[in-house]
Amino acid sequence: MNLTTATVEAFRLLFAFDPQLWGVIWVSLRVSLLALLIAAPLAIVLGFLLATVPFRGRRAAVIVLQSFLSFPTVVVGLVLYVLLARSGPLGSLGLLYTQEAMILGQAVIAFPVLAAFTLAAVQGADRIVRETALSLGASRSRAAFTTLFEVRFAVMAGLFNGFGRVISEVGCAMMVGGNIAGLTRNIPTAISLETAKGEFAQGIALGFVLIMLALGINASLNYFQGEGGMK
Amino acid sequence: MTPTMSALKVGAVDAGLLTITQLQKSFGERTLLNIVDFQLNSGNIYALTGDNGAGKSTLLRILAGLEPADVLRGNFESQSMNGADYTQALRREIVYVHQHPYLFNTSIAANIEYGLKMRGMDSQTRQSLAQEAIRWAGLRHVADVAPKRLSGGEKQKVALARAKVLNPRLLLVDEPTANLDRAARQQIVALLRQTASSNNCVVVACHDREIIDLPGVARLHLEAGKISV
Repeated sequence: MNLTTATVEAFRLLFAFDPQLWGVIWVSLRVSLLALLIAAPLAIVLGFLLATVPFRGRRAAVIVLQSFLSFPTVVVGLVLYVLLARSGPLGSLGLLYTQEAMILGQAVIAFPVLAAFTLAAVQGADRIVRETALSLGASRSRAAFTTLFEVRFAVMAGLFNGFGRVISEVGCAMMVGGNIAGLTRNIPTAISLETAKGEFAQGIALGFVLIMLALGINASLNYFQGEGGMK
Repeated sequence: MTPTMSALKVGAVDAGLLTITQLQKSFGERTLLNIVDFQLNSGNIYALTGDNGAGKSTLLRILAGLEPADVLRGNFESQSMNGADYTQALRREIVYVHQHPYLFNTSIAANIEYGLKMRGMDSQTRQSLAQEAIRWAGLRHVADVAPKRLSGGEKQKVALARAKVLNPRLLLVDEPTANLDRAARQQIVALLRQTASSNNCVVVACHDREIIDLPGVARLHLEAGKISV
């Protein structure tokens, strides 16, 4: 099958709502969005605390956090595999090769992205934001919340970036999900498999979906950041 | 001489609002502020002058509880002021306006309502007071403009409206006319005069003759860490 034929077939599968193809897309979206939902609250709080609360070893903590940004996803997968395998410490939970394991892995991968973006956003916010809130009568916790609200577009950029990282990662999903058709097969693992089998049409269709998702994410981010929510 | 002075009287009240018996602040080896027996009275406007780096902003920030003093002993009305604890009650009575005010990335009305919301005021009253404050500051023509798109003078007016609507007993304003053109300076000075009442006290850190030379405005001069009249 040449590239043109494969591409035409890819679009046919996509727009004919091929159940197998859309099942893969659904798994990807479900796993990645739930992973973000789990990671975001803790990561945002951690990023905020690292930016605002002085403590001994904060610098080291920031370095460790930033190092995790470039941690290979396959290593995260390996560590989780060892933990979740039947003989591992969490083996009794029976999570290996389930969507829950993939969600856990992707939450671990998204966590440093979200925390680092929040950290940078809050550090970048002028001290005057917090002082203004305090001076207008806000409590310390309310002033902290106001500061976070003021950098909401930068935090949102972290969410979009985190989503981009987890929806496209293949290493961890393959290791802890096992690429089981109809269960744990997501877009990146399906592309990898279909390409290996020589089934380029499915791979191209799924690649097209990933590209569209990336475009959509960036367009949304650009809109929100550019307008700052105001006319 | 104890710097308790007769200033611009608004309603002719001369009650001691803030009394500082000792205030010290150092940065490393350098003593920036070493103030004893200092009093501000209700119903007055004070112009706080001094060279750049004399400590005007630091003094205002300490009084507003935004910066710790090394030593702080005094009273705000019946409340004790000390360096260890700046109470929420004090924060409700003393409002500080930055030299370059920060406006929250919401709307002008929401900015003005912020402090009222922190005081637990209901939404309808907040909105009504915010609209009144917008009219007072002459901001109706820009009421729908995003705060980040306002000019320096307009931002300063929003900040003053946001502070005035809270009716603070002590309003501390840091260089409100710095970097503004003449027309904007005059508008800000007019608003500052209207902000003063018999029930409050306004302290304006400035170099601006238009404020210092206003009839009845008392001058507090900060030099070598001490305040003189």
